[in-house]
Order: sequence, then C-alpha cells, then structure tokens
Amino acid sequence: MKNLAEQRKTKDKPVDLKEIVVSIKGLKKSFGAKEVLKNINLELKRGENVVVLGRSGMGKSVTIQCIVGLLKQDEGSLKVFGEEVADMDDKELKELRKKIGFLFQSAALYDSMTVRENLEFPLTRVLKIKDQQEIDKRVEEVLVGVGLSEAIDKLPSDLSGGMRKRAGLARTLIVQPEIMLYDEPTTGLDPITSREISDLILEMQKKYKTSSIIITHDMECARIAADRVVVMNDGEYIAEGSFEELHQSKDKIVASFFKDIL
Amino acid sequence: MAEEIVIPRWKQWFEGIGDQVSFFFKFFRNIFTGGFEWSEFVRQCYEIGYRSITLVGITSFIMGVVLILQLRPTLVAFGAASMLPKTLSVSFIREIGPVIIAIICAGKIASSIGAELGSMKVTEQLDAMEVSGANPLQYLVVTRILAATIMVPILSLLGDVIGLVGGFLALNIRDSISFTLYFTKVIASLDFSDFLPAFIKTIFFGFAIGFVGCYKGFHSNKGTESVGVAANSAVVTASLWIFVIDGIAVQITSLLFYK
Repeated sequence: MKNLAEQRKTKDKPVDLKEIVVSIKGLKKSFGAKEVLKNINLELKRGENVVVLGRSGMGKSVTIQCIVGLLKQDEGSLKVFGEEVADMDDKELKELRKKIGFLFQSAALYDSMTVRENLEFPLTRVLKIKDQQEIDKRVEEVLVGVGLSEAIDKLPSDLSGGMRKRAGLARTLIVQPEIMLYDEPTTGLDPITSREISDLILEMQKKYKTSSIIITHDMECARIAADRVVVMNDGEYIAEGSFEELHQSKDKIVASFFKDIL
Repeated sequence: MAEEIVIPRWKQWFEGIGDQVSFFFKFFRNIFTGGFEWSEFVRQCYEIGYRSITLVGITSFIMGVVLILQLRPTLVAFGAASMLPKTLSVSFIREIGPVIIAIICAGKIASSIGAELGSMKVTEQLDAMEVSGANPLQYLVVTRILAATIMVPILSLLGDVIGLVGGFLALNIRDSISFTLYFTKVIASLDFSDFLPAFIKTIFFGFAIGFVGCYKGFHSNKGTESVGVAANSAVVTASLWIFVIDGIAVQITSLLFYK
C-alpha cells in the first residue's frame, strides 16, 4: 500500500507550480451596513503557502469562508480551479469541497466521536470508501504524520489544545485536499505548541503538495510557513511580499505587525 | 459611520416562517436523496427512545396513580366507583397519556437536540461537516427527526400501559380489584376510535419534537449563550406545537368518530 504522498504523486498530473488554484478579484462582502471586505485581490499558486496577516475583525476569515462557499460574496470574482464559486450549484460545491481542507480555529472536532471516528467520517461519508482495511490504513498513516497515534481512541474532550489542532489537521488531510485553508491555526496555543503546529503545516505542505492560505496573527507561524505574506487592513490587502520584504517595510501598518520581530 | 439596519419584528417573524418551511422541505428532500445514515439513526433511536424510558415510565405511573386518587371521591359520590377503570383508561389513552408523555419528551428530547446542534454550531462543527463535503442535514437532522417520530409513539404506548398499571395499584389502596378484572374492564371500555387517533397524533407530536429541536439548534446564533436559548426555545415551541396539534387532532377525531 502506497502512502498518501505517493498516491498523490501517481494520481496527479505533473505539478505545475505556476498554475493559479485560487483567484480573487475585487471581492466585496458586507454584513448589514458593515462592509467587511472592500476590495480583495489575491492569487494562490499551486504548492504555495500564503499567509494573511491582519487585525481581528478585518475580514480575514470571511475571505476563506467565501472560498469554500460557506459565505457568498456581494461583488467581485472568486475562482477556484478556474471555476466561479458563486455560480456553483450544491453538487458542484460538494465536489469542490472534496478538494479543499479547512482547519477551523477551534479545530471543530465532532465531540461525540473519538479521534478515529472523526477521521473516518470524511472517508466514509465524502469519499464513500467502504473497505475497512483501507480506512484503517489511512487513519493510521495520517495520525502518525501529525504525531497523534496514541490518541486514536480518545474523545476530543480528552485532548489538549495542541492535540485537537493536530487531530483537526489530520481530519482535513486524510481526504488529500489540494488546497488547505487554515483559520488561525496557532491561536490559543503556547509558543512551543504553536511552533510545532507551524512546523507541521510546512511539513504537511511539502509532503502532500498542497496550496495553503493561512490566516494568522502569529508572526512566528508566518515566518515558518509563508512563501508569501499578505497584510490586510480595513477590508483590503495593503501589502504583499515575502516575510523578509515586509519585515523591511516602512509602511506604518505593515511595520506594526513586524515591530517585535528581530 | 455606517448606520445599523433595523429589521422590523413583523419582517423577522415572516422570515422565520419562511426559514422553517424551507428547512421542512430540505428535511424531506434529504430523506430520499443520498444515502440514509442507518447507524446514526439507530443511535438516535437508542438516545431518544431507550434513554427516555425511565422518565416516561415514572411520569406515567404517577399520572395513573394521581388520576385514580383524584377521580375516586367524585365517582364514589355518584355511586359510580365501578366506572373508575373505564374513566381512567378512556381519559388516559385518548388524551392525558399522549399529551403528558409528549410534553415530557419535548422537555427531554427537543431540548437535548436543540442544545446538541446549537453547541455544534457554536463550535463550528456544523460548518466543518459542510465544508468537508458531508451533508449535516442528512447526518444530523434526518436521523434525529425520524428517530423522534418513531420513538415518541412507542414511548407513548409504553407510558399508556404503565399509567394503567399505576391506576390499578392506586385503585387497590382503598378498594380491592383483581388484576384480571381491572384489565378486562379497561379493554372492554376501549374502542378502536379511542386508540387509533391517539396513536396517530403521537406520530405528529414526535415529528414536531424532532423538527423543532433540530431547527432551533441548526439556526442558533454563534455564541455560547445561544446554546441555552436554542434549548429553551426548542422546549417552549415544541410544547406549543403539541397543544396545537392536539387541538386539531381532537377536532378531526370528533368529526370522524364521535358524531
């Protein structure tokens, strides 16, 4: 039995690193009178990790919720794999979601299920895999990957914050998504666990060749995981570049994020 | 500075009605599309049915005892003590049993479903299920509503029997009547038209309890306070629906059977 990374290599066409998997142009979204997204433009290339930095309540999470179709934009274009998300019907959206992994801030583990059942859920319900041996193999492999083998039969309530994030990450990776969306993956964790999760994000990206958008306030996470950093302020992206480039930025808002970085 | 848009209450009310109708059709569509979640359905039957047996049993038993103790002085005063088994059985099977048991189930089942789904919404578990490509309506809603629709009538039947047994024991506190004679009188006094409409209405009670619990949980707001609100609102709304359904059922039964 090949591991997940090997399966992906043989299953997929040669990886075109210039291929744009997510393309956002002029995205606008309001809630009542509050305009949260004013003009968002972003391109995510295959195999790339983009970190979005921004203050709380600036609409960072709203952007990735639009990508996965949980929210619908008011204006603008949002294409994933070249298809406009807003124009998709339920069936197309379901198919798209099979290719996207979403790690929620709280990890969102199903709390009535053990870690094993949480991981089996997308395999049996989404990928419709019936072969129990294959299911067991996949669960075991992905749990080894995130370093959580010992917690396989534990309930989410018995896990620490870091373990929950790992389990949540394992649940999204088990379906081998092509795009990963991380909503504040290190929030609420101690610095050591945060670093472990950031390292894990990078490791998983290399192993599974995923393209990722990482929403975070954690500069250490951004430094470790980002190929490109985008800074968001007041519903717009105001700066874009590598971590080092933005670190040198003279812009007042951008500099405020990097002021504690040596 | 942007002005806050205030939606009038009447408009919110109509939007709520529209949401419930839409939720109702989504539920029906999801029964027949995609795969049925048998394992979750069986688990819900166990949670809703088996775990409610003690509560329903105790309540029904006490109701049977209390009804006999309350009815006895009046019927004895009219020299109709022998009518006690008949009076109890007809009132219990037709009306008191189904309604009281449904209200008990609304308190236990609707609140538990409302709180469970509400907390799943707050902790983003519903969103996680949806973005994974799974169907939360099929997995969570269809199974719970169908389980409640099936288990509440069964609990009601069980409660009826336990209530009548309670009545028998209460009757034997002051009088002496054999078990065989008591149940012969009970069965002789009951008719098809007493039992069937009462049973049918418990199916609707069960549906209302499951539906309201799921709707309130699924549409709760994203805050911890909303979990309590969803549970509370589920109980109140389901209880109200039970009385509305009962009123309609009694009217229909009267027209069909008691001319």
